[in-house]
Amino acid sequence: MEDLVKQEKIILTVIMIIEDLVQDWELNLDEAISQETFLVNDLNFSSVDIIQLCVALEQNYERKLGFHELLMEDGKYVGDLSIQQISVFLESKLKNQ
Amino acid sequence: MTTRTLFIGMDGATFTVLNDLVAKSGEGPVMPFMAKIFDKGVRGVLRSTPNPLTPPAWVSLMTGRNPGNHGIFDFIRAEERGNDVFFTLYDSRDCKAEMLWSIASRQGKRVAALNFPFTAPPPKNLKGFMLPGFIPWRHLRRNSAPEDLYDRLKTIPDFNPKELAWDFEQEKQALDELTNEDRENWVRYHLPREKQWFCIADYLLREESPDLMAVMFDGVDKLQHQAWLFVDPNLQTGELSEYHLRMRKLCHDYFRQLDSFIEHLVTTAGPDVQVFMASDHGFTSTTEVVRINSYLHEKGYLEWKDVPDTEAGKRREDSMFAYLDWEKTIAYCRTPSSNGINIRVARNPGEAGIKPSDYETVRARLISDLEELKDPITGERIITEIHTREEVFPGASMEDAADLLLVLRDFGFVSIKNKKPVVELRAEIAGTHHPDGVFLAYGRGIKQGVVTEKCDIVDVGATLLYSLGLEVPSDLEGKVPHSIFNEDYLSEHPIVIGTPTNKHVKDNESARIEDDEKEKIMEQLRLLGYME
Repeated sequence: MEDLVKQEKIILTVIMIIEDLVQDWELNLDEAISQETFLVNDLNFSSVDIIQLCVALEQNYERKLGFHELLMEDGKYVGDLSIQQISVFLESKLKNQ
Repeated sequence: MTTRTLFIGMDGATFTVLNDLVAKSGEGPVMPFMAKIFDKGVRGVLRSTPNPLTPPAWVSLMTGRNPGNHGIFDFIRAEERGNDVFFTLYDSRDCKAEMLWSIASRQGKRVAALNFPFTAPPPKNLKGFMLPGFIPWRHLRRNSAPEDLYDRLKTIPDFNPKELAWDFEQEKQALDELTNEDRENWVRYHLPREKQWFCIADYLLREESPDLMAVMFDGVDKLQHQAWLFVDPNLQTGELSEYHLRMRKLCHDYFRQLDSFIEHLVTTAGPDVQVFMASDHGFTSTTEVVRINSYLHEKGYLEWKDVPDTEAGKRREDSMFAYLDWEKTIAYCRTPSSNGINIRVARNPGEAGIKPSDYETVRARLISDLEELKDPITGERIITEIHTREEVFPGASMEDAADLLLVLRDFGFVSIKNKKPVVELRAEIAGTHHPDGVFLAYGRGIKQGVVTEKCDIVDVGATLLYSLGLEVPSDLEGKVPHSIFNEDYLSEHPIVIGTPTNKHVKDNESARIEDDEKEKIMEQLRLLGYME
């Protein structure tokens, strides 16, 4: 139960930071940003935008989070990420630190 | 409250051009207010960082420390990881020395810093306003401070963040070699862009009167990279085409506008303000391409990787990133802007590279081989200076610097392309960085009509703190140049050396950049002339 609450809190934090990030981007979103939202496919993120999101999350949690572990898979960069994936990654990182 | 200190940065400004623009001609000088500052203030050459490049130089100006101490050496930080090299973007968190914005803020001074590179994300202790440079418009809000600044700026008539910020997409469209029309548009693009920065500076100056108002105009550098042929007074000889004359007039329009912005800011700041102006480096002509990795290949230090004959392979070859066989490469140049050579040292068993015990021997042989690169006709050395990092980048971050720093005979940036010949004349003269930038001072307590001795870029940070009435931290390498202030002012305001800065050495690791993004950045750098 405690874990679920923590996960929910992380998802809300990620959504809040992304909403703040994209507020001036003039995106025409059909649906509100949720854990199912993908950064590239739904929000038109470029690589620089992903870097800036990583910086924003690290600033929020006031620690290094080693995002390369999330961004790279088998030596290659992942094509897209959902908010759910980011939240799960953050939960594991925050648990271990 | 009144603004005590006004700092105007002009990226790449050089006296080679400014002297021409303040000269009286038939229609009067192109920059009449700059002419007044020449007459009523102090000016002198400002020596840039050992590699006169925007990132290390502006950060040295803002910290009063050399790159070996602040740790910013290039646009892109590269890390060797096994058999590949990963590239990351530097940001303010990578800077290991405290910037003057923080030093002034924690002593109660309100500062405004506009368009300075590597100021994003802003420092937490900032007292004042910050809108960083080199940030895409979509991230200006998040990287501005305080939180409500961005919304306030939106109330400025004609405020347009897309016009203000670096536009990756626009620059992506630029070709390796610009057509005449593209080059003309490139210069035109910077006229409204600079106006955006001016309007923000003017707004904050009028509304907030920060103790230190600082704004950087980077169009000078961008214009000179692409239009040096039309700006350098030494190149205006012979019969000039209609296009050439039109471009020269357009460049003068840019400088005329910049002059009016400077005059407006100085006037708005009031008669008691001290005004300082500086560039991060100067400018000069580059006449040849030096393909340094091709030379290292010839000498057996570097092995290229085979590029497949496919679309992807072609893109890879054009990507401007050295595509090397890391198993067989022991020395290479990572980025053209670094003008440096990295030696691969095997730190752990099984790693590629030379043994640590062979480092001195290999480096000495490499230096000797680089000295041997000579003009076949005149016998003149192509690489006139070769510095070890201990010589030019001493400090806590020296290990992050390239092992050797090269200075070419025409001050150009090297090419890292796999092409021949190693040295080739450029089809057309281009602009490149020169170590001698500019430093000017004007206003209360400043001498009049004086040309001062050469200052160092790290002196500017110390001078701005002094001008704010603050002590100069004892660990700054920069010194306040006495010669620019008059005697009365110096006796009323003695220079006091105070406690050291608050260092904030962090092990932050920026997120890595994928190939696509590297490409965008490299296209920008290519456009700015750092690439062949």
